[in-house]
Amino acid sequence: MAFLQPWALLGLLAAGIPILLHLLARREPPTVAFPAVRYLLDTTREHARRLRLQHLLLLIVRTLLVIALVLAAAGPTVPLRGVPGHGPTALALIVDDSPSSGAVAGGTPRLQELVSAARAVLDRATPDDRLWLVTAGAPPLAGDVATLRARLDALAPSATRLDLGAAVRQADALVRADRRPGAILVLSDLQASALSAASPGAPVVVARPASAPPANVGIAAVEPGPEPWGPDGNRVTVRLAGDSGLTRAVTVRAAGRPEREGLGAAGGAVGVATPALPTGWHTLAVALEPDELRADDSALRAVRVAPVARAECASAGRWAEAACEVLRQNGRLAPGAEVAFGRLAGAAAVVLPPEDPALVGALNRDLERRGVAWRYGAVQAGGAVDSGGVAPAGARVQRRLALVPAGSGRSGVLGTVGGAPWLVRSGSVVLLGSRLDPAWTDLPVSAAMVPFVDRLLNRVARGEVAALAGAPGEPVLLPDRVSEVRAGDRRWGVEGGAAFRAPAPGIHWLLAGGDTVGSLSVQVDPREGVLAPAADREVAALWPGAEVVRLGDVPAAAFAAGARGDLRGPLLWLALVLAGAEALLASGRRRAGAAAPLAAAA
Amino acid sequence: MALAQGGRARPDLLDPVEVARLGGLEVTTAGVVEGFLTGLHRSPRRGFSVEFAEHRMYQPGDELRYVDWKILGRNDRLYVKQFEEETNLRAMLVLDTSASMAWTGAPGRRLPKLDYATRLVAALSLVLLRQRDAVGLITFDDAVRSQTPARARLSQWRLLGQALAASTPGKGTAAEPALRRVVDALARRGLVVFVSDLLLDRRLALTALRFLRHRGHSVLVLHVMDPGEVRIEGAEEARYEDPETREAVILRPRDWADVYADTVTRTVKEWRAALRRSGIAYHQVTTDTPFGHVLRDALRPPRGG
Repeated sequence: MAFLQPWALLGLLAAGIPILLHLLARREPPTVAFPAVRYLLDTTREHARRLRLQHLLLLIVRTLLVIALVLAAAGPTVPLRGVPGHGPTALALIVDDSPSSGAVAGGTPRLQELVSAARAVLDRATPDDRLWLVTAGAPPLAGDVATLRARLDALAPSATRLDLGAAVRQADALVRADRRPGAILVLSDLQASALSAASPGAPVVVARPASAPPANVGIAAVEPGPEPWGPDGNRVTVRLAGDSGLTRAVTVRAAGRPEREGLGAAGGAVGVATPALPTGWHTLAVALEPDELRADDSALRAVRVAPVARAECASAGRWAEAACEVLRQNGRLAPGAEVAFGRLAGAAAVVLPPEDPALVGALNRDLERRGVAWRYGAVQAGGAVDSGGVAPAGARVQRRLALVPAGSGRSGVLGTVGGAPWLVRSGSVVLLGSRLDPAWTDLPVSAAMVPFVDRLLNRVARGEVAALAGAPGEPVLLPDRVSEVRAGDRRWGVEGGAAFRAPAPGIHWLLAGGDTVGSLSVQVDPREGVLAPAADREVAALWPGAEVVRLGDVPAAAFAAGARGDLRGPLLWLALVLAGAEALLASGRRRAGAAAPLAAAA
Repeated sequence: MALAQGGRARPDLLDPVEVARLGGLEVTTAGVVEGFLTGLHRSPRRGFSVEFAEHRMYQPGDELRYVDWKILGRNDRLYVKQFEEETNLRAMLVLDTSASMAWTGAPGRRLPKLDYATRLVAALSLVLLRQRDAVGLITFDDAVRSQTPARARLSQWRLLGQALAASTPGKGTAAEPALRRVVDALARRGLVVFVSDLLLDRRLALTALRFLRHRGHSVLVLHVMDPGEVRIEGAEEARYEDPETREAVILRPRDWADVYADTVTRTVKEWRAALRRSGIAYHQVTTDTPFGHVLRDALRPPRGG
């Protein structure tokens, strides 16, 4: 049941008035001397039961009368099935125009089916209805039938994923803000991966296509491996999305060089070697054989090619030196003094705390002279490396020195342990809170050690180059220095450290001043490539009370939830009947005595 | 009706409260009786079939056979002859002075039942004394409070007046001892007038009254009620308490008025039926009824008797 004027329900408090009056009337009344009490006693003995019943009935009738009037004022409506037409309804139409809606099934694009069904629903809308159109990647559109129809006509598959649970919650908030009875209509291919839980208050009708989705293979991710790439060529891994099990040819074109091909199956991965590239930024264009869903058949990925760092690792301890040796053998590191690992020297340095605590003071003075904004502090308790930074998440740290900012700021934190800075950068100097020694941390004896040292020397120490990846509409945290994002001719002025939502797939270059400091490779969310639909019972489990229908049935079902009977008339009739009953009972109570003796005599 | 010739008010037809304001018991009672007798065409208990008593002016309606034709022949005036009954009546008036009799439903506007009954009894006794009947008085509440033997002397009126003026509201009501006392007081057959609100043990009272009737006495019961007892009024709930028994009941008069009135009507009917079955006259008297009306009803010869 819904109410057009729910605030009027406050009047239900008035239903207590008859009861209150009844209770107040039970107070001890004043005493009156009256000699003929015996006549009163005779009278009450004969009629007390009847009058008590009449009092009770009067109390009930009067309370019901108040309730009926208050409910009528609140304008209650109840769902009515099988009646033509509908009352004023607040209807939110969710049309799933996510990338998967571009799939062609039975020769017809999914989105076209959904839009046709939405148009049929709008045909039944009346001017008294309140309408919203909720789609992926755009704010909800409120308007009349013409406005929504125009948006539907222009609707094309979006690059943005649509979380159906979030959309239902958003639609629920919209319709609940309206005083009309609300209804939510979901028109979607019902990808299982798009569903999430929601508990809407408004009734939900879910319309799904009758035909099965097409078999699909899509590009889930393009993984270029450790960056920057060396100039001698590299290898890119392409992960394929989809649950069809089909095998497809994958082509990778790098910087206009001839394509390289691989063969991969849905759900698997394929490695493709790339040719040697010159130093600089390059775009990898990855493509699949076309299928019924084109949105995930291609992807772009930016990679940076640069000479490997020339580092000197002798001062970093034997564990770090061993890691450097592995990197050198694999061509990821070269001997040289470009980066000093373990001591404060050279153009760039990765500084480790001294083994002898007595040397901390001297090191801090050197840091101060170099203009580094961080200092080493006292020995601190260990912990686990927190996730989200350059440092390998979860690595155990047994011992560390506190890293203390020299000024008021706390910028440059790249990794933390228990929330405290553990890996920081100030200019070209990187400070690590623990020595890379098993006595300080178990990192040296883990598989994460070599990639960590690779990142430290090739990327962090030489100035981090961000190589980010994301999906359209998904927030991506930009590095601190980034002031502008550029994609083709489009430019966005941004604030470093803030979230950026790329509107479409493609390469987005991250700029700091005039320099390119990173890239954001945006491609369709890999979940969009998995077209397997959710079963009706899964929908019902995630959205309690939701009704699932076929797209062809949606025009009849759309407003069925909103087909509501107005109870004001029946309630007013009920109030009238109750008022009549009240009058009869009240007058009958006074007449009761006249009838009763005659009846007794008879 | 309340005005006689010359515009003078007839006290017997005035509102009892106004009568009470005119003066003391004896004075007002004499006024009431005078008015009452003036309004009568003939003396209430004076007949035409026994010993001659006196003449009076013919009045329309008198039977022609009682016209004294000799006087008509001598004086050309119409007189009728009146006759004295063979024996004088001995009457005993029994007045209930219990606590319930002290009640009035409208203080200041209606007399308490006892005040009303006192004046009624006084008027009755004066009427009877005027026709040379012997009149006595017994007052009672839960016991006999006073007894004035029946006498026919005119000085009896003063004694009765004193006894009535001295009667004050008592406690409970027990009529049986008082009625039994009547048996001793009236050796010969006579008239017993029982004035009470009848808020008493009905079975005992009926037994005693029937016994009197069985002894050959004429018995008249005047059931005195305040109009407020006949019909209850008021919108607010109240606790009604019996001043004699302290029994109480809580109710809202508005809700019970009709049923209560029916109960009272039924009770009156039951009294009347029970008494008439025993040959006892019964009159319900409300305290707003002019005394003259009550006297006329009370002294009217019983039908068929």
